[in-house]
Amino acid sequence: MIGKLFFSVIVLACGPALAQPGPGLDPKDIGKAPVDMWTTYNGDYSGRRFSTLKQINQDSVKQLSLAWVYRLNFGEVGAITGGEGAAPVAATPSIKSVPLMVDGVLYFSAPDHAWAVDARTGRERWHYFWKTTGGIHIGNRGVGIYKNWLYFLTPDDYLVSLDAATGKERWHKQIANVRREYFSTMAPVVIGDKLLISPGGDSLDVPGFVEARNPETGDVIWRWYTTPRKGDPALATWPSEESAIAGAGHAWLPGSYDPELGLYYVGTGNPNPVLAGQSRNGDNLWTCSIVALDINTGKLRWSYQVSPHDTHDFDAVQDVVLIDGLYKGKPRKLLAQANRTGNFFLLDRVTGEHLLTTPLVQGLNWFKGYSANGQPMRDPGKDPTVPGVLVSPFSSGTTNWPPATFSPKSGLFYVGANESFSLFYLTDTDARPQGYGAAEQSVGVVKSSLKAIDYQTGKIVWERSLGKGPSGPQSIGAMGLLSTAGGLVFGNDGVGDFVGYRDTDGQPLWHADLGVNSSNGPTTYMLDGKQYVLVGAGDAIYAFALQ
Amino acid sequence: MIWSIALAVSIGSVMPAAGQPQQQTSADSDDQERLQVPAQFDRASATRGQSILAANCGFCHGTNGRGGAGGPDLTRSPLVQEDVEGRQIGELLKTGRPGQGMPSFAQLREAEVKDIATFLHSQIYLNSDRRLYTIGNILVGDPKRGQSIFDSPGGCASCHSVENDLKGIGARFDPVALQRRILLPRAGSQIGVGPGGGKTGYLDPNALQATITTHVGRYQGRLVRLSDFNITIFDPVSGATRSFTRSGNEPAVTISDPLKAHVDRLYQWNDRDLHDVTAYLAGFK
Repeated sequence: MIGKLFFSVIVLACGPALAQPGPGLDPKDIGKAPVDMWTTYNGDYSGRRFSTLKQINQDSVKQLSLAWVYRLNFGEVGAITGGEGAAPVAATPSIKSVPLMVDGVLYFSAPDHAWAVDARTGRERWHYFWKTTGGIHIGNRGVGIYKNWLYFLTPDDYLVSLDAATGKERWHKQIANVRREYFSTMAPVVIGDKLLISPGGDSLDVPGFVEARNPETGDVIWRWYTTPRKGDPALATWPSEESAIAGAGHAWLPGSYDPELGLYYVGTGNPNPVLAGQSRNGDNLWTCSIVALDINTGKLRWSYQVSPHDTHDFDAVQDVVLIDGLYKGKPRKLLAQANRTGNFFLLDRVTGEHLLTTPLVQGLNWFKGYSANGQPMRDPGKDPTVPGVLVSPFSSGTTNWPPATFSPKSGLFYVGANESFSLFYLTDTDARPQGYGAAEQSVGVVKSSLKAIDYQTGKIVWERSLGKGPSGPQSIGAMGLLSTAGGLVFGNDGVGDFVGYRDTDGQPLWHADLGVNSSNGPTTYMLDGKQYVLVGAGDAIYAFALQ
Repeated sequence: MIWSIALAVSIGSVMPAAGQPQQQTSADSDDQERLQVPAQFDRASATRGQSILAANCGFCHGTNGRGGAGGPDLTRSPLVQEDVEGRQIGELLKTGRPGQGMPSFAQLREAEVKDIATFLHSQIYLNSDRRLYTIGNILVGDPKRGQSIFDSPGGCASCHSVENDLKGIGARFDPVALQRRILLPRAGSQIGVGPGGGKTGYLDPNALQATITTHVGRYQGRLVRLSDFNITIFDPVSGATRSFTRSGNEPAVTISDPLKAHVDRLYQWNDRDLHDVTAYLAGFK
């Protein structure tokens, strides 16, 4: 009682001052190299997760020390509530969201929750709590920001817009129907006057799509389906339009963007039914593909499929990294991705021309060599069967959604990767299987490591084994990474340490034992002359700065 | 799509007895008793609904609703998936879709429509929840060939014997668990630091072994946790754990894996050999 009264008084006292809206974030500033702001999931539009800051560098990193901790507050008391559901559901206490930082305030989310936190102190400004109608609460990757407005997606497939200053809801729009097992986790991407979003969810065989919406009204500007419809030549890669419509391919991570080309690049997900491919013969375009969409029209400019006719839940929903650099001695606009299939791909991002494919690890057995176009050619003998097939990697892939990083300083592409095995059992032998259609039993992860790749050759320049537990690797290797002009790569070691690695050889120069592995992509920014490094691990965000 | 779901699939809990036929396609069967219905659905209603659907809708939509000669798959239909307790399905059945060749089914009573809806929703739920999937009969291998693989030079018999450590192995594990253990018989192979992984995995005798040599002495035990910065081991005799700080190569640490032969073989197995060895070992009851 006393606490509540006290709280109200504070709010009243501070209300008028806080209520004055600032100028907000000019959409033109979104996508600029992150220095004193962090305005997108990956800091800018390139997906590189590289910072030019170097106050924290190979020499000074030893003085890196804890500045503050913010533990996720899921409580209803004091929260601004919204939503269509009756009651809150249990929280998902693992932060996969990347906090945006604008004007000294951090904005981030978890399923059904969004927060604003003071970037100097780690103290909460406001907490928004969405009462859900359901959906899989596996994660939420963050918010988008446009002027004074924030956007996030909910597990029950609503796009919610909040006032960044107060956390008050402006509107919410349904983007898909949760009864069809859609659930949404993506961080919305703001590009000019468009808001890009995509739902996820492959428990049922439902259509996948990418939408551009109006950030003021939430209305749809264009929608691109991740599989072809009648009249499109790509429909020849499916047995029927019905199978293509049901073919999913959800693009459930934020994409990258080249303002000069006006192209939005995003990876698409696996086809449906997920593991039982008998009703969808063909390559199943544009699932498991890297696609380039015209930002103005939503039309497909080009696509490159990383696993034709996937039958193992692999996808191209990993960080799409835009590199402006040399290839065979000539400057080119490039696009790189290390993905779940166990391969590193390099493309020309103007045309989609394939440049190289190299394996990230040993033991990959789901494909037999590469096509002329560098695509791994699936081994049909490794499709799930009733008595089981042993496949490497397992369905979580050699790597996964946690973002990789590319440092233009070192010229290296960094990614966490594993060698893993699973048994895949076909459970739905019907000619028209549904959903996943097969069960998976993990045999285990045999190796996990952080790898540095020369993007021009695809060769591994160095790799560092992650920590171990009683049964070997204790993580699947995939981890959110950040590289900096200070010559550092920040990530984890698979056994609960947050580590600053030397970018040239992977030597750990600094670490903090957080007890659990980092669970989001680290970020960095300058505030009041001080460089901060932030990371989420489990239910908390940790901020570090030099002492 | 997302790894924590894939890892959460609990196969052991839905395991049928060895040799039990798969039930996924049971809707095609005449045997109504075999219809799989998740607990939260009214089983009698779903079973009735299957019959009503087969009789009235089966010609076009298939007896299991997954599509037939001319009609689309009902379990994939947005209208069906978004339906609440047969209301939207009932409205459509009243009028049909004359433009698309679907006649009216206005003669169906409300209770019958509800039964159809229960059947379809129960099957959609089964499709959507991987934890309810049923693995079929995996004992398809040739036990004789399995025996020769088991006994081949450098093979399983180098360490194991069906008369000693593997005595009665086919009774101790169901076939799916057995096949998994042939590949890697380690309980704590779940991923993630925490229960089942880092915290209890060292109770498994097959845990990684560590040897630490300091200027004071030599310490051996099962590995609890190894990082670049420290190492923790567990002594199964005393039950104590002990930690050491690491700095570069000090102290010297050696890790060995009692299951190295299993791990190495993961990269070599072909599926036929695996099925044959599973069939061979499953016979020792």
